This record gives sequence, structure tokens and C-alpha cells, in this order.
Amino acid sequence: MNSNIFQDNINQLALLAAVIIFFLTVFVAGKYIKQMKTDKSTGELADENWDGIGEYKNELPSGWAYTFLGTMIWGLWYWTMGYPVDAYSQIGEYNEEVAAHTAMFESKWADADDQTLQEMGEGIFLVQCAPCHGIAGDGMGGKAADLTVWGSAAGVLATIQNGSKGLGYPMGEMPAGMLSGDAAKKVAEYVANGMKGEMPAEFGVCAGCHGMDGKGMGGMAPDLTKYGSPAFVADVLERGKKGYIGKMVSFKGRLTPIQEKAVGAYILSLSRSE
Amino acid sequence: MFHWLEQRPFFFSVGVFLVIAFAGLIEIVPDFAQASRPVAGTQPYTLLQLAGRHVYIKDSCNACHSQLIRPFKSETDRYGPYSLSGEYAYDRPFLWGSKRTGPDLHRVGEYRTTDWHENHMWEPTSVVPGSIMPAYKHMFTQNADLETAYAEALTVKKVFNVPYDQPGFTKLGSWEEAKKQALEDAKKIAADMKNKDVKEAVERGEIPEIVALIAYLNSLR
Repeated sequence: MNSNIFQDNINQLALLAAVIIFFLTVFVAGKYIKQMKTDKSTGELADENWDGIGEYKNELPSGWAYTFLGTMIWGLWYWTMGYPVDAYSQIGEYNEEVAAHTAMFESKWADADDQTLQEMGEGIFLVQCAPCHGIAGDGMGGKAADLTVWGSAAGVLATIQNGSKGLGYPMGEMPAGMLSGDAAKKVAEYVANGMKGEMPAEFGVCAGCHGMDGKGMGGMAPDLTKYGSPAFVADVLERGKKGYIGKMVSFKGRLTPIQEKAVGAYILSLSRSE
Repeated sequence: MFHWLEQRPFFFSVGVFLVIAFAGLIEIVPDFAQASRPVAGTQPYTLLQLAGRHVYIKDSCNACHSQLIRPFKSETDRYGPYSLSGEYAYDRPFLWGSKRTGPDLHRVGEYRTTDWHENHMWEPTSVVPGSIMPAYKHMFTQNADLETAYAEALTVKKVFNVPYDQPGFTKLGSWEEAKKQALEDAKKIAADMKNKDVKEAVERGEIPEIVALIAYLNSLR
């Protein structure tokens, strides 16, 4: 620590300025006090008089008059042309802030790895999804879909048993209990494993809407080959859903594609981490 | 001329006031008149929504919840696009609130649903574990006051020319028509609800406060 505050050059300058201002004040005040004592005014007095205080009919000092005139001209210019309509606005600052942040976000997380996406997804999930699906993602006792089984064979089985509707695909709702027993389990395994391996004969029931390849016949029904992937989650987030349990709002435009992928990665980690 | 003014201090004071007031008015009024026009697509409240708004006011939701999203990234990320003054054109009074003990609700209809509100009003901690909001179970048994809501709608229509019953705007109609429409709207809300008492009440032709409140909250977007 510097013990002597006068070694700082800003302090030196401030002190010098204070001394100058002090002497200027003394000088100017002294001049005017002396003038008030000795000055004799000249000129013609105006007619009116307030309790003995009169007023001369002197012209305005020319410096004042020109300044006043200049102010009026500047005012006209400012009013008609100079008003800073294109300069600062609160909304403009907001737009710049959002654009800068979006650009930074896009470039920073363009090739985020799965671990990063899961962590990002957890944050988004806790804010946007947890109010209905619960902090653990278990749907809080049937208030929303149980995401801890989503993406696994158990999740597909639950969908086959309970049906599904409200994603807004042209094929409409999928009734409950299209398959049951072993057949349902076999199809659930097959779909949850990415539709690889030998196709169970019972998948024919699903193919009516989802197509033999499960791709949803060009957007008529959900693409089952994407089931259990972040892309499928992103699809649900964009469409929203009015299903048998309740209604889920659409997050279209509220989450960026990277954020949707991140939520998908986190939801998958819920059912597959063990 | 100035001597003449100086000799009439009261007249001079009034003159100064008028000149300064005029300068203020031409700065404020044109922009204000423009910005407070209804935003395209803004609709006057339906009878059911208005009754729900009365429930919102009666139970002082605005003491803890604001309805004004400021243009900051942190707010628009959480609550949606920032609020515009024209969006409040049919709010009498506006419910901006001054305090956020709970979150802002200006666009709550965008991200919460009927079934969520039902769970939340019955027992807030069942969906938001850390919530300090009290339960509002009385809303499930008390009926909404449609008469007052209709009186308000009719008053603002006649006195303030709120565009009810004009092409492209909310239909109000006579008391009987409005009541019938409100009951139809209530049935749609109740269909998404699970509470048996509420469903039965709506079947009987009553409208519990919770149904009206949810209609109002869903209209906030």
C-alpha cells in the first residue's frame, strides 16, 4: 500500500485543480463584491417598480442574445432532423444482446460431446420439463409421461398397452392394447433396439400406420426407427402432445436445435444410465 | 411586451404552464397513443376468461405474480417474448403486479396446461416441490361470478367501445347467449380436468372458479 496519497498523480492533479478553483473563486467573488460597492448604473429606468426595486431598459448583452437565438435554431434542427431516432433504444440493446448470445451459443456448443449435452439437458429439463415430469423425470405418479423408462423396451410396451395420441400426425390416435402378452413384449424389444435383427411377425399390426420399415410412411405417423434417440425427443418437443395423460405444450421456437438435442440426451440418460 | 407580462403575474404563470405542458404533451401523447393500440390479434376477454380474471384479482394472485416481461435476455429466456403495451389494451385494470414472489404469468398459457393448473391449484407442492404458494382448494367448490363478469364486459363495450361483437372479435351477445357460450367453454376445460366434483358441477351447468381461472390463465399468451 502506498502510504502517501500525494504520490498518486491523479490526486496531485485534483489537489492542484482544487487550489486553482479556490483562488479563482476568491478572485471572482472579490471583483464582483467590489463592483457592487462602487459601481454606478446608467440608463433609462422602466416604468414599473416593485417595492422600490426598479429595472433598466437596457438591451440584452449581445452574447446572451446570440446564444438564445442559437438555441432556438438548434432546437428547430433537433426537432426536425437531429432527434436520435436511430441511436440508442432499449429494444435495440436487447436485440443485440440476444443476437450476440445466440451466435456465441451456436459456435461454442456446435460439436458438444454427449456428456456436455447431458449436463446442458439436465439444466433445461429442471426448468422447462420438471414442473410436469418431475425432477426425477418419473412423471410424478402419472401426472405426465414417465421418462425414466422412455426409450427402453418398457417404454414401448407402455405405449402399446396404453395407446398414444395427440402428436398431431395425420394417422391420428393409436388405440390402447393393439398387442398384448408376449407379442407386445417382442415388438417392444424389437422397436427399442432400433428395429434391427429379425422382425417379429406381430409388427405387422404396427406397420399399418408406421410402415413395414417403421419410418412412419413419410410423415403419416411417428418414425419408430428414431425412437429412443434425441431426434425423436426433439420431434415431440416441437410438436407438443395432447395425449391420454394430459397436454404437453409445444416448445417450438423456445428451444434451439442444440438445446432440444441436449434435452433428448438427458432424457435418454435417465433410462439408460443404470 | 415582456413588461406587460411581468405586470400580470397570474396570467404569466398560467401562460408559462401552458407552454411547458404543450411541450410535454407533444413529446408524450403521439407515441403513447400509438403504442397503446391493441397489438394485432389481441382479443377482448370472453365471459369465462373475464370471470377467471375476477377470481385472479379476488384471490390477489397479482400480489405475488407479475404480468410484465421486461426486454432482458434472462427474462425472455424464461417467460417468452417481452411484453408490449398494446397487449394490455383490454385489461381493466392491468395486472402488471409489482413483485415476483412467484414467477411472471404474462405468457403462462404458452407453457402450462389445464391439467397442470388443476394439480397446482389443488396442491402446489405436488408439482413444484419447493413451492411456497398456498393451495387454493376453495376454487374447486365455489362458483365463478358470471353476472359481474358480464356486467363488466357490457360496460366496457358500451362505455369504452371495446370491440365485443364486432367482426373478427370476441362475441359477447345477450346475457343468455354469453352464459351459454361460457358454459360451452367451461365444458372444454373440464374435459381436460380430472377432479370429479368439478366435472359434475360443469355437467349440472355450474362453473366452479377453478374452471374460469384456468380459462383466464390459458388465455395469457
